[in-house]
Amino acid sequence: MNTTADADVVALINEVLGDHWDRTERTAGGLDADLWATLTETGLHLLTGSEAHGGAEAGWAEAAVLASRTAHHAARVPVVEHDLLAGWLVEHLGIEPDDAGLRTVAVLDADGRAEGVAWAPVADSIVLVWPEGDDWLAAVVPAGSVEIAETDHLAARPTGTVTAANRADLNGRPVSADLVAELRARASLARTLQICGAMERVIELATEHVTTRVQFGRALSKFQAVQFAVVAMANEAALARVAADTALHTALRDGFAADTTAFAVAAARSVAGHAVSVVVRNGHQVHGAIGTTDEHSLHLFTRAMLAWRSEWGTTADADRFLTERAVAAGSSGAWRMVLNSAG
Amino acid sequence: MVALTGLLPASMNESPQLRALRTEVREFLDEEFATGAIAPSIDCWMTGWDDAFSRRLADRGWLGITTPTEYGGRGGTFLERFVVTEELLAAGAPVAAHWIADRQIGPSLLKFGTDEQKQRFLPEIAAGRCFFGIGMSEPDSGSDLASVSTRAERTDGGWLITGAKVWTTWAHRSDYFIALVRTEPRDETRRHAGLSQFIVDLKADGVDIRPIVSMGGHHHFNEVFLDQVFVPDEMVFGQIGDGWHQVTSELAFERSGPERFLSPFPLYAALLDHAADTDLAVGRSAARFFALHQLSLGIAGALQRGDAVDTSAALYKVIGTLNEGEVVDQAALLADPSANELIEKVNGGLLQRPGFTLRGGTVEVLTGVVARGLGLR
Repeated sequence: MNTTADADVVALINEVLGDHWDRTERTAGGLDADLWATLTETGLHLLTGSEAHGGAEAGWAEAAVLASRTAHHAARVPVVEHDLLAGWLVEHLGIEPDDAGLRTVAVLDADGRAEGVAWAPVADSIVLVWPEGDDWLAAVVPAGSVEIAETDHLAARPTGTVTAANRADLNGRPVSADLVAELRARASLARTLQICGAMERVIELATEHVTTRVQFGRALSKFQAVQFAVVAMANEAALARVAADTALHTALRDGFAADTTAFAVAAARSVAGHAVSVVVRNGHQVHGAIGTTDEHSLHLFTRAMLAWRSEWGTTADADRFLTERAVAAGSSGAWRMVLNSAG
Repeated sequence: MVALTGLLPASMNESPQLRALRTEVREFLDEEFATGAIAPSIDCWMTGWDDAFSRRLADRGWLGITTPTEYGGRGGTFLERFVVTEELLAAGAPVAAHWIADRQIGPSLLKFGTDEQKQRFLPEIAAGRCFFGIGMSEPDSGSDLASVSTRAERTDGGWLITGAKVWTTWAHRSDYFIALVRTEPRDETRRHAGLSQFIVDLKADGVDIRPIVSMGGHHHFNEVFLDQVFVPDEMVFGQIGDGWHQVTSELAFERSGPERFLSPFPLYAALLDHAADTDLAVGRSAARFFALHQLSLGIAGALQRGDAVDTSAALYKVIGTLNEGEVVDQAALLADPSANELIEKVNGGLLQRPGFTLRGGTVEVLTGVVARGLGLR
């Protein structure tokens, strides 16, 4: 599988999002319907979907760029949920192509509830996945057919609790536990890529601010204390990007169901999750009071990354998974674990 | 605006050949450990001197990997060297004897050495028979390397060198070091001018090597006093007056290697036999090792291609060495005092730890390099 994103697709992504950033109203919250319409026109909304389903037939290499770049532009669009999660599941379930509008995914608990479902309040349809005994079932339903209660979201993205009382009537199709695990791995990697994109933007904002803001007669960037704060977050964001890229390439090489991918995605998620702590702390610190205002765009990125690092599993969940792996590997398997090669 | 991702090397996927080479090294090491020929140590590239082991590595073709075959090397790639050294470091194998010669003297000789110097030293280095130290720091010149005051004066057929070098690791067992010295008086307006490098025979008359015992009671470091030490013209290294350019041009190789994240790896591995599933710091470190390995590998690939990696190498060394320290600290926080074998490793790590973020460019100096790369200064 191709691991390098197609240059034409990347150029299109940058053109659409860059143009959008220049004219958009920079607020948190809500679906950016204009941008979503543009993405739909250009095919970027269903980048990895098959042609039969109205997709652009690109791969994860391109989708990773889109996930990162939308985060980098604080674009309020559900590319991850609509394409990489729901779109993929719909095709996997063998459901006939339709034009069901904006889609998201909800993994329900045994009581038929899913908390914190991104975009649920604005979705047209939802792919429900739920446990049935030891097995899993899945169905695509109109959003109006389930109960959706909007909930608070740190980055003010439309989010809600989805409750499906009528699961028995939904004619759910069986899906394997492996497929559900794969869904989580895809979602977790996508969130990591979004976090990386947002962190990189905060470093750009910080660099711009400290090199132009003058205090004590010189630019803030002339102070070593300030340089240290910016470099510390750049270091963490760089390590997170390396881990995310490696996880992406591992998934492309071995598939999302592979054990190596599970480890790589968890590792990337851990590095990125902890990097957020440094980037948010230092990013706000170097911006001073102006960075705490609604007017300044910094919070569009810091709030988003803080929310994302706890979605589709927490950072502690990733650490726990890795710790169990590490302890199981023991001294004799420690190095092979770090290399994470299938062979 | 400098984009962070633009500073990072492209990610690398190891070829089957490289993975096979890893296996080959691992099998060799398993045998070495099993027979008791060698024992693992913390910070092995500084603490583990074993010249017989170095020669056994040489017999396998694992020293001088990037040295052309005409000079007795393997004629291999930088990535092959990366893979071999990474396996040795992860296992804690005693690689200190040949480390400096293999890592930087060989490549520097290839770049700046005369043909006579290359003929003389490279085959010996690749054979594990000739060991080098570094002669850069001085008592009054640590991070500020351009301020060195050891001087060389012209004499018949060569130079007379006088001064003192410090922190010269394993000088007491090495054959040579390459000294950075002044061949012109200091000029504050041209700080990097008038510096030159010389290959100094550490057994020569006028060389006085005195131990600097570490706080752990070990003798790795030395102070090397040079009193009118004669160095013949044929041991001038590179061009007279070009010393600064020569020492700075190879820094990325020195900074980006796997020894900047793996020094305490045997301690981390040992910790895993004692850690609980609830010690989440252990998993967090696994993730960072995974990422640091990839970053170091990516830079190795970039160096192989000849890409500029100054900023990413500095960035990597900062996070890599900080993480080395954190891993030691984490083990110290978790280790049960009654777990004697682990505690021994923890103590070894704690005593080596302060050096991790000092040697080869301090975190403070390197942060400045990254800041410059980001456009902050």
